[in-house]
Amino acid sequence: MSPSVNEYVNQFEIHQKLVAMVSDFLGFDASGLMAFLVFAVTAFAIVNVMALIGGLGTYAERKISADIQLRQGPNRVGPYGILQFLADGVKMIMKETIYPAQADRALFNLAPVLALLGVFATLAVVPFSSGFTLANLNVGVFYLIGVGSLVGVAVFLGGYAANSKWSMLGGMRGASQIISYEVPVTITTLSIVLLAGGLSFGHFVENQGGFPHEWFIFHNPFTFIGFFVFFVGMLAETNRAPFDLPEAESELVSGYHTEYTGMRFGLFALAEYIEVFVLCGVAVAAFLGGYKVPFDLGNGVIFVEKLGLPAIIGKNIGQVLQLGSFVTKTLALYYVVIWVRWTFPRIRVDQVMTICWKYLTPIALFNLIGVVFWMYAFDNQSLWEILSHLGGGSHGGHH
Amino acid sequence: MFNDTFFLLSAGLTLAGALGVVFTKNLMHACVMLLGTLFGVAGLYACIGADFLAASQLVIYAGGVVILMLFAVMLTGGSSDQANKFGIEKIAGMGNTKTYIFAGVSVAVISLTLLKIMAGYMKTFEQGELPPLTSTVEEIGTLLVTDHVLAFEISSILLLGALVGAAAIARPRKG
Repeated sequence: MSPSVNEYVNQFEIHQKLVAMVSDFLGFDASGLMAFLVFAVTAFAIVNVMALIGGLGTYAERKISADIQLRQGPNRVGPYGILQFLADGVKMIMKETIYPAQADRALFNLAPVLALLGVFATLAVVPFSSGFTLANLNVGVFYLIGVGSLVGVAVFLGGYAANSKWSMLGGMRGASQIISYEVPVTITTLSIVLLAGGLSFGHFVENQGGFPHEWFIFHNPFTFIGFFVFFVGMLAETNRAPFDLPEAESELVSGYHTEYTGMRFGLFALAEYIEVFVLCGVAVAAFLGGYKVPFDLGNGVIFVEKLGLPAIIGKNIGQVLQLGSFVTKTLALYYVVIWVRWTFPRIRVDQVMTICWKYLTPIALFNLIGVVFWMYAFDNQSLWEILSHLGGGSHGGHH
Repeated sequence: MFNDTFFLLSAGLTLAGALGVVFTKNLMHACVMLLGTLFGVAGLYACIGADFLAASQLVIYAGGVVILMLFAVMLTGGSSDQANKFGIEKIAGMGNTKTYIFAGVSVAVISLTLLKIMAGYMKTFEQGELPPLTSTVEEIGTLLVTDHVLAFEISSILLLGALVGAAAIARPRKG
């Protein structure tokens, strides 16, 4: 697999010719410049598409909640109200920015930007497909957890800077919740790191297969439990209901962004929806097979061999299939996140902490030890492989 | 060129953050600037190919320590009321003649010592080639449980002690 989008593009002759042409034209070796351009264009595309997904997330949230509550939801702006998020965006940009009296202006302005920065920085390692990844870092997961924690700082600063009791309480709840739930999420990720044998998302995905029985979630019973621990922790880290204590509107008005108006509030909301997408993507890459497509269609070899297409087209068809596989699974998980929000009531503050420290963390530790034990006892085979050995290999996979 | 640019950015962020921490009067702002410094240091680690160290820096300092400091600063009161109701400063001023002299002498001694140590390297300085970027995770893991296993275990005992101590202090007392 190619470590990043630049290496992926570089393997095609047409791109190499282009680089040579630009080098001739400029009179120096332009491969560095072209690599920069490739990264810049990809990063620009990813950030814009993610902003769009964040915007559509707000629309999906309202439409799905309306569906669950037997309402119509937004239906005036555009077909089925799908342009509602654009109308909201225009409204937010037009709104006046109000600073509360005695607010800490510098931090008040910084907090929403920091939230969005932390979320966008995590996009660098999200594995959309084997070629369409900005950077396949050796420490990808670790990096993602690290820059993702900026959101916690931003929530806290937003709560502090507004100089309001509601914001303050919301910010403190948010920070403590995000720090606490990082523990079970990280330990669960660690068990996947052990199975995959590496910290990069490339390792994660390449060690799984296209079919559900080759995914890490069905690798052994411990990872099956681990997925749900990860999912619950993920809900809490992104402040989604039933863990939306930081913005509990029945008690805190709307928590840490009570005093924010206009686009500053919009940035917080956007950061939240994109973070949900990113963490769903991480869950998909770690547990649900990531961008893998069944029958190895993703590397595009079959299109070249059976259909006689040129290699470049075959490979790109494979990439599109991988992208589709990843995005479909991620959006399905996104739907579940919204579904959970509109189904479960909000839990109490003490219950949030109890769930984290008394249930999820011990379960995550147990899972970690269980995975280690499983790898030692069964020589790193998945449950499916063991069953197929027992059954004489009659219904085994292609291993 | 990329490495140089990245180094300059990281070093600039580190220095700017550090100066900001020193010169700002607001403790919360100082904490936020410290966040910038810590990110800059993570960038410096990334410059020399220490990817695991850079990521650890982000996770531990940016994620944990800065939030903890923000909590501590916020819960122990701000810096706005430096004088009490009689107009007397609660915290003694740091900058008087004695402290300036002491600081100047310390700076001179420390920098002379450092220069003395570094002089040998600076004379024979050559631009070294960075080794190709490889994963340092396996190396660090192997070293931690082989050569440095004693330090590893002792630090885990230290952390356990801190954990138990914190729990003991925070425990509600009966009676």
